[in-house]
Amino acid sequence: MFAYYLRLALSSFRRNPGLTALMVMAIALGISVCMVTLTSYRAAARIPIPDKNDTLFVPNVDSWDPAQSYDKDQADHAPDLQTYRDARGLYASTIPDRKLIMFKAGGVLSGGNHMAPEYVAARMTTADFFPMFETPFLYGGGWNAKADEGPEPVIVLSKDTNQKAFGGADSVGKTLLWHDREFRVVGVLNDWEPAPKFYDVSNGSFDEPEKIYVPFSWGQVMELGSDGNTNCWKTEDIKSYLDFLNSECIWFESWVELRTAAKVAAYTKFLDDYVIDQKSKGRFPRPLNNHLYNIEGWMARNGVVGQDNKAMLIMAFAFLAVCLVNTVGLLLAKFLNAAPIAGVRRALGASRRDIFWQHLTEAGVISVAGGLLGGLLGVAGIWALRAWYGRFVQELERSLPTDYGTFAIAVGISLAAGIIAGLYPAWRIGRAAPASYLKVQ
Amino acid sequence: MGLRPILSSLLRNRAGALLVAIQLALTLAIVVNAVYVTEQRITKIGRPSGLDDQNQFALSVTGFEKNFDFFAMVRGDMAMLRDMPGIIDATPINQIPLSGGGSSTIFYSLPDKKGESSPVAYYGTDEHAVNTLGVKLAGGRNFGATDVDYRPKDVQGFPGTAVVTRAFAEALFPKQKDQLVGKAFYDDQGKPVVIAGVLEQMHGAWVGWDKLDRVMLTPVVGPGPGIRYLVRTEPGKLDTVMAATEVALRKRDPNRVVGKLRTLKNFKQSSYSGDSLMAVTLSVVTGLVLIFSSLGIFGLATFNVNTRTRQIGTRRAVGARKRDIVSYFMAENWMITTLGVVAGCAMALGVGFWLSSQFGLPRLDLYYLVGGVAGLWAIGQLAAWQPALRAAKVSPAMATRSV
Repeated sequence: MFAYYLRLALSSFRRNPGLTALMVMAIALGISVCMVTLTSYRAAARIPIPDKNDTLFVPNVDSWDPAQSYDKDQADHAPDLQTYRDARGLYASTIPDRKLIMFKAGGVLSGGNHMAPEYVAARMTTADFFPMFETPFLYGGGWNAKADEGPEPVIVLSKDTNQKAFGGADSVGKTLLWHDREFRVVGVLNDWEPAPKFYDVSNGSFDEPEKIYVPFSWGQVMELGSDGNTNCWKTEDIKSYLDFLNSECIWFESWVELRTAAKVAAYTKFLDDYVIDQKSKGRFPRPLNNHLYNIEGWMARNGVVGQDNKAMLIMAFAFLAVCLVNTVGLLLAKFLNAAPIAGVRRALGASRRDIFWQHLTEAGVISVAGGLLGGLLGVAGIWALRAWYGRFVQELERSLPTDYGTFAIAVGISLAAGIIAGLYPAWRIGRAAPASYLKVQ
Repeated sequence: MGLRPILSSLLRNRAGALLVAIQLALTLAIVVNAVYVTEQRITKIGRPSGLDDQNQFALSVTGFEKNFDFFAMVRGDMAMLRDMPGIIDATPINQIPLSGGGSSTIFYSLPDKKGESSPVAYYGTDEHAVNTLGVKLAGGRNFGATDVDYRPKDVQGFPGTAVVTRAFAEALFPKQKDQLVGKAFYDDQGKPVVIAGVLEQMHGAWVGWDKLDRVMLTPVVGPGPGIRYLVRTEPGKLDTVMAATEVALRKRDPNRVVGKLRTLKNFKQSSYSGDSLMAVTLSVVTGLVLIFSSLGIFGLATFNVNTRTRQIGTRRAVGARKRDIVSYFMAENWMITTLGVVAGCAMALGVGFWLSSQFGLPRLDLYYLVGGVAGLWAIGQLAAWQPALRAAKVSPAMATRSV
C-alpha cells in the first residue's frame, strides 16, 4: 500500500511541480538555517568528557572587594580565578580523589632537532591534570606528584610541538629549552583539542590548548606572570614577585575530582571552613559565597553558550516555524484542489483512513526531500561560514565543527515537522464527503 | 462593493486564511526584531576606531637568550623600520588595540581614591605612538622622546605624563571639558599623571566593552623580553611592506623570535566576528522569511483563484467587471494580511521584550514595527496582484462550463 501511496504522491507532484518545489525549498531552507545555528550551539553546549561531568568540580571562593561584587551584573558570582594563597590553600586539602592547580604562562621554546625558537603558551599545572582530564598520550605520560614538589625539570609536549621539535619521533627523555632552561620530555600528548576548552574558558571558550605542560611550581621558581587574565582589586604595595604572589590579585584556577556524594559534602564543608578561617585572618571581607561547580555548571557560570548563540537558535527555529506554516497552507490548498480525485477514490471504496494515509505519505515525501536538501544546504552553509570567517577566526574549526549528529537531527526534525505539517491537511481531505466532489462542480 | 461578502466567504474557508495570517504574524515578529538587531550590529561593526586601521599591522618579538639586550633590539628594529620605504611610522607597544587583549586600570580625579573615577585601557608605548596609531590630537601635545621610560624591571606605577582620549578625560573631569590638558589624575596609590595631550577618539582593547573609547597612551617601554611592534604603512602598500618587514626583521637579528604578522583589519574583523556572524545570520533569515512568506501568499492566492474559476465566471456572467474581481481578491488578501499584521504586532513586541530581557539586547524601537507593518501590507498586496489579475481574465463563459 505504501508503494502505491508513493506512486500517487509522485503523480500529484507532477500535477503541481512549482508548488511542490516551493514546499520542498521552504522546508529545506528552514532546516538548513536551523542546522547551521544548531551546530554552533551544540558545539558550545558540548561537554568533552561527559562521564566526568559529576565528578570534576571547580571550587569557587569569593576573595573579592567588600565594596563591590566581582561581576556587577551577576552579584552572586564569585571571581572566576583565585589568588596564589587560596589556590595553594585549597590544593592542600586531602579530601579530593584528585586535584590540580594551574595557570597559563608563555615563553620561548628552543632546542630540539628541527625547531626554530618559538614563543609558546604553557599550562603550568600539577600532576593530576593528565588523569583528571583524561588526556591521551602518544608517548610516555604525565609526571608524578614528586616532580611537582621539586620541582623537577620535566615537560609534556602537545603533538604538534613534538612534531615541530622532534619531527614527530618518540622524544621521551630528550630535552628542550624553555625560558632558556633545560626541561626533559616525559610525555607527548596525542591529538587533544577539547572544544569547548572546558578546563580553562577564561581566555575564550574555543581557545587553542597550550603547546607545553610544565609543573606548576616552576612558575614561582622562574617568577612567571600569567599569559591569561590577572585581576586585582586591592591597593597593595607590590615591590617584588613574592609581594605579587601574596597579593589579592587573582590569576589561578583549581579543579578537584570528588567521586562520592560524601566527598562532595566533605569538600563543601572544607571550603566553608577554609573561608571562615581566612576571615579570622582578616581576608575574605565579603559574605560567604562559595560554589562548587561541576563541568556543566562551570560552563553555564561562564556563559560558554553565548546569548547570541541562543538568540540565533531561537530566530532560526522561528523561521522554520514560518516555513512549516507556509507548507501547511500550501498542502491544504493543494489537497483541497485535488479533492475530486480523493472523492473518486472514496467512491470506489477507499476508506477515510486510506485517504488520510495517502495524503500523509505525500507530506512525508516532501519533508524527507526537504530534509535531505536542507541538510546538504546546511553543510554548505557551515562550509561557507568557515571559508569566510576562517580567515580571521582561528578557533572556528572547534566552534563550528562538522557535526554529523546535527545533520541527523536536522533530517529528523524535518521529517517530524513535515508530518506534523501534513496532519491537518490530510485529516481535512480524509474527512470530506465523497459525494460533493462527484457532482459536477 | 462591501467587505461583508468577502468576509463571509473567508469565514467559510478559514483554515487557509488563518494559516496565511499566522505565517504573516510570525514573519512580522521575526523580521522586525531581526532587522533591528542586525542594524545595531552593523552600526557597531562600522563605527570608526579612530585608528588608521586599514593601513596597519602588528607583530610580536621575543628575546630568549641569556644576556639578551632587549632595549638594543627595540631601538635597532625601530630605526630600521622607520627608515623602510612605504612605512609612515612604527612604535613598540605592549598590546595591540582592537585585538581583544589588553590591560586596564582605574584612575581617580583626586588623590586617595577620591573624586570621579574611570577605568581605562592603557598602552605602554613611545613618542611615535600617536603618529603610528593615526589618532588625532585634539589638544595639548604628544609626549616627547625624553619622556619615555625604558624600564629594565617590572616596576609598578605609571610615568607622570600621558596622552588620553577625550572620553576618558571627560569621564574624570565632567565639569571642565574645555580645559582637560594639564589636569592631573591619580592612580590608587595617589600618584599623579598629568594629561599632556587629548586624543579626539581612539578605541582600546575590547570591542564588547561599553567604555571602549577610554584609552591612555603611557610612555613606558619594557621590561621585555617580549614586546609588540605596530607599523603604519602608506595606503595601498600594506601587503608589500608586511612581506618586506618580516624578511628585514629576521635578517637584522636572527636571535629572537618574530611572531606572525597580522593586520589591524584582521584583528578588528576577528574581534567583531561574533557581531558580524549574528548580522549575517539574521539578514539571511530575514531575506528568506520574506521570500517564503510572499511566495506562500502568492501560492495560496493562485490556488484560491484556481478553485474558484466557476464562481468567478458566474460573477462575471451576472455583471461583475474585471475591476470588481481584482478588487475582490485584493480586498480578501488585505483582510488576511491585516489580521496577520495585527497579531504580528503583538507578537513582535512580545519577542522584542523577551529578547531584551533575556539576552540583554536593547528594547525594540517602534519605528521598526511601523516599517514592518507597512512593508508586509505592501508585500501581501504585491503577492496577490498577479493571481488577482489572472482571476479577472476568467471568462464569463466559465459559469456554464463544467471543470
